[in-house]
Amino acid sequence: MCAAIRSAWRIKRMLASHTLRGPLSIVQNHLIELLPRTARLRLLAICEPVELVMAEVLSEVGIPTRHVYFPTKSFISLVTPIKGKPVLEVGMIGREGMLGTQLALGVRAAPLHALVQGPGTAWRIGAVAFRSELARSSALQRSLNRYVYVMMMQLASAASCLRFHQIEPRLARWLLMTQDRAQSNTFHITHEFLAYMLGVRRVGVTAAASVLQRAGLIKYHRGEIEVLSRRGLEAAACSCYAADRKAYADMLH
Amino acid sequence: MEILSSDSVKNYLLAALPIAESQRWLPLMESVDLPLGQVLYESGTTLSHVYFPTTAIISLLYVMENGASAEIAVVGNEGIVGISLFMGGESTSSRAVVQSAGKGFRLKAQLMKDEFNRAGPVLHLLLRYTQALITQMAQTAVCNRHHSLDQQLCRWLLLSLDRLEGNQLVMTQELIANMLGVRREGVTEGALKLQHAGLIRYARGHITVLDRPGLERRSCECYAVVKKEYERLLPRTQES
Repeated sequence: MCAAIRSAWRIKRMLASHTLRGPLSIVQNHLIELLPRTARLRLLAICEPVELVMAEVLSEVGIPTRHVYFPTKSFISLVTPIKGKPVLEVGMIGREGMLGTQLALGVRAAPLHALVQGPGTAWRIGAVAFRSELARSSALQRSLNRYVYVMMMQLASAASCLRFHQIEPRLARWLLMTQDRAQSNTFHITHEFLAYMLGVRRVGVTAAASVLQRAGLIKYHRGEIEVLSRRGLEAAACSCYAADRKAYADMLH
Repeated sequence: MEILSSDSVKNYLLAALPIAESQRWLPLMESVDLPLGQVLYESGTTLSHVYFPTTAIISLLYVMENGASAEIAVVGNEGIVGISLFMGGESTSSRAVVQSAGKGFRLKAQLMKDEFNRAGPVLHLLLRYTQALITQMAQTAVCNRHHSLDQQLCRWLLLSLDRLEGNQLVMTQELIANMLGVRREGVTEGALKLQHAGLIRYARGHITVLDRPGLERRSCECYAVVKKEYERLLPRTQES
């Protein structure tokens, strides 16, 4: 309890010292920012800042959730396993979202593999503390239900995107999704990792990346991708990128 | 224990309602016929009702900008159609189509919202169902990428079979092709293979499943993953 009060004070001090840039700027997670002030402060009081490391596994299918994460600088891939091995990315979580929504649905076991794709900071809350806060806060419940719905739409679009769209527009979409969450034009990614995220063979990724590079949209060198033309990527991406953005904007504003 | 009519307990969510909720719901529920191909809602429209299928099966399809669609989940007697309503969406971005004719119950959208906002046992039940649906959607996504049409066809038949009373599905190949997001010829070929293997009989839009264990062996793991998750999240109540 004492720790919670100390933590609340710490957060208040942090908020107070950031008034010039607006009290929200230190939060940097959109879901938390959207909460009404009281609910937000209460949630932040039980948050602890953590640094997520590249490729760290945050949840595994069927294993009870120990923590929920609200990424701030980091981002996380949701991956579906086949025969126990993660094979395909079906969702991405950055500062717009949260990992561990199953707790909001009253379910403890994680539905998907989650691994860190972009290292950086996040807020973390223990499952027990999170559930008791959730039980108290209808604002948090409402907001998370809406976010769950957005995630479901992301899954739904993934299902048809994987069915219908070619590797090139899917790669463009993936790069845009990553850029949004990496908050940077440059990020590190190997062809192997990309192939595994997109569920295609490595040669397919290499070919698609060369097409985008020749068109002057990206620069790719030794695992370092730089987005040169965001607009160009948007034109090259399948409609799923815009659809996902719209679903999010419609539900969480 | 005739709280709801005996038909309504054929839907497992309705059957799992506590007595107080059943009593409140009974007068509000409307029994409906759900003919093959009927669209319960279109992508982008506001929902007027939620549906609890009893003998019908509803297919949820994600519709893309160019109009192409693929099935993201099926809902039958284990579920509810229209969860966007209580998850906070005014409209929905999927289309819900009856893929196997039958019956169900429906409830007005506003009543459903009120019920959800009571934050009682109904809310918890529906949220758990939502998690089960999420699993089905994620598994469908991965299945679309990694598994052969044959395997998907088996998965799809098994999911349907679980939601039917008998072992016969009335279904055109065109509809199946739409659900799986493939060409009709692909479905024809796949169905023929299953027929040669003695697993199904297919004649004039009637699919009869002859060998269920055979279908299970031939299906990808996605069927078992989804089934297990539903059983875990929504253990079926004692049938009355």
